[in-house]
Amino acid sequence: MTDRQKRAPRWRRRLFGNGLAIVGFAIIGFFLLFVTFAPFLAPYSPTHQSLRTTYVPPGTGVTYRGPDGELGLFVSPVTRSPVGGISVTEDEKYPVRLFVRGAEYEWAFGLIRSDLRLFGVDGPPNVRFHLLGTDEQGRDLFSRLVHGAWISLFIGLISVGIGVGVGVPFGAISGFLGGATDMIAQRLVDMLLAFPGILLAIVLVATFGTGLTNVMIAVGIASIPIYARLVRGSVLSVKNREYVEAARAMGKRGMPILFRHVLPNAIAPVIVQSSLQMAVAILFAAGLGFLGLGARPPQPEWGLMLARGREYLAVAPHVATFPGLAIVAVVLGFNLVGDALRDALDPRR
Amino acid sequence: MFQYFLRRALVAVPAVLGVIVIVFAMVRLAPGDPAILLAGEFADQQTVERIRVRFGLDRPMPEQFALFVGNLAQGDLGRSTRTNRLVINDIRERFPNTLELAFAAIVVAFAIGIPAGVISALKRNTWADAAVTFFALLGVSMPVFWFGLLAILYFSVQLGWFPVSGRGTFGHLILPAITLGVSSTAIIARMTRSAMLEVLDQDFVRTARAKGLQGRLIVVKHALRNALIPVVTIGGLEFGNLMAGAVLTETVFNWPGIGRLLVDSILARDYPVVQASVLVIALTFIVVNLLVDLVYGAIDPRIRYD
Repeated sequence: MTDRQKRAPRWRRRLFGNGLAIVGFAIIGFFLLFVTFAPFLAPYSPTHQSLRTTYVPPGTGVTYRGPDGELGLFVSPVTRSPVGGISVTEDEKYPVRLFVRGAEYEWAFGLIRSDLRLFGVDGPPNVRFHLLGTDEQGRDLFSRLVHGAWISLFIGLISVGIGVGVGVPFGAISGFLGGATDMIAQRLVDMLLAFPGILLAIVLVATFGTGLTNVMIAVGIASIPIYARLVRGSVLSVKNREYVEAARAMGKRGMPILFRHVLPNAIAPVIVQSSLQMAVAILFAAGLGFLGLGARPPQPEWGLMLARGREYLAVAPHVATFPGLAIVAVVLGFNLVGDALRDALDPRR
Repeated sequence: MFQYFLRRALVAVPAVLGVIVIVFAMVRLAPGDPAILLAGEFADQQTVERIRVRFGLDRPMPEQFALFVGNLAQGDLGRSTRTNRLVINDIRERFPNTLELAFAAIVVAFAIGIPAGVISALKRNTWADAAVTFFALLGVSMPVFWFGLLAILYFSVQLGWFPVSGRGTFGHLILPAITLGVSSTAIIARMTRSAMLEVLDQDFVRTARAKGLQGRLIVVKHALRNALIPVVTIGGLEFGNLMAGAVLTETVFNWPGIGRLLVDSILARDYPVVQASVLVIALTFIVVNLLVDLVYGAIDPRIRYD
């Protein structure tokens, strides 16, 4: 035990002494903040349409001087005319303020009702401040991105949960028992691994139907063979160590040895893989959303938003750009943390 | 040596079997009557019954499977429910396009990834190394379809350098190939870097230096040649992954390949085509991986044939 107490700070030091890891953790931290406080951080509802303000590029109608020449952030009313083109009513200016009262929302599963938003326009409700512009239905892109964050998080968590929940015991038992069980289990894994990357998820979605829930399950199932193979390898390398022999000598048998002595010492690669797998799951799900096999409109899923933005790429490039940036940031965060964890937990270093 | 090849090939058998079983199961596990799925949702009762008899859907499962494998062996993949064309013709038409794209992408990946990795390893812990590492991480974190869209936006729409979509001239190939190759480039660069670092540390490189050989000669002739073995392997395996990655890239660029065929047919619930496309992509993946294993065994004398 003392040995472990001494060693714990070392991997922690390694992990937090790594600049890239800090960036990764910071990204994930912000991401979790967005998920948790979405309705407060987003100035508008993710589904509120306004056909008079479609594809407004970010920064339209925004000025840094108020009506009396004072410094600050101000917005003027913006309307898209039926013939195309955007007109800004420049003689009207309203300040953008922190902690503004907006439309009412529910938070924490309806337990809290509030109308306080982090920022918004202090003026009539039809004057809106679009941090990242609007999409083809005049919905606030920033609000949609913030409200869509939980979808990506859930996809990642549920897929990793399925992969770990099924793949880890499967691989552990296969490696621990060995023999014919291992042979058959590994051939099953071979079958699933015969499908490259995203294809297995596509096959599952094509079979059981499209939609967000099925995408989560499909991406999860697609990660099972990876975990199974990984854990089997670790179990094989651990199961004949001295301390396992010792447990055997003390009369312990079978599963208790696996779960008490072998598995806890084979779990480090699973932690690393899970961080990387979060990244993969989010990418896959966004890809399926983009292909039209995942989330359905009007869900603010990032891949789907990108797909919609694709249709207006030439007129409103911002609609496709920002969801992509959001995906890149989150996926990069999980990849950075995964890489850093791998280095920190690597016993050879 | 021959035994090694044989053993490798045998390992691929359960994988092939698995693919066939899963493709067979797809239609039977999907909600709804498999005969209707294979005939198309707008088919009349007569056609549905004909399909039911033709694929033995009224028989027990083992018999259905035998029939399925038998048809497969004869290249009979059924007819598309959308176009009523023989599926095999669609595949024959589309498959070379996907191969072309994947091949171009892997060329891009090697052409950029290997030099980037070598520079990164030689200039270890400098800004160049950091830049390569950063871009490599970015490359694996980026959704390919987003990269593709941005590429279209800047290079096709705004600068007008390349066609927006489709297939035809060499110019059509460039953006899709780069897009599809991005993540492979990143993976190959990282792999090259770590392989080079390992090799540069070894005795024979030190010996070459001690013999007084020039720096560049050592890098190219001694270090890189040895470092390339794992890199080529990873590159080969990446080629298989590119077949699946093509699904997204082909959709972005309207590339008439098998990936887009798959997506279109899923959206149109055209199950015969879905089955065939999945089968072809997965089998290509297995075959490519097998070939990579064989080549690896042939070029690396350190591989033991036991």
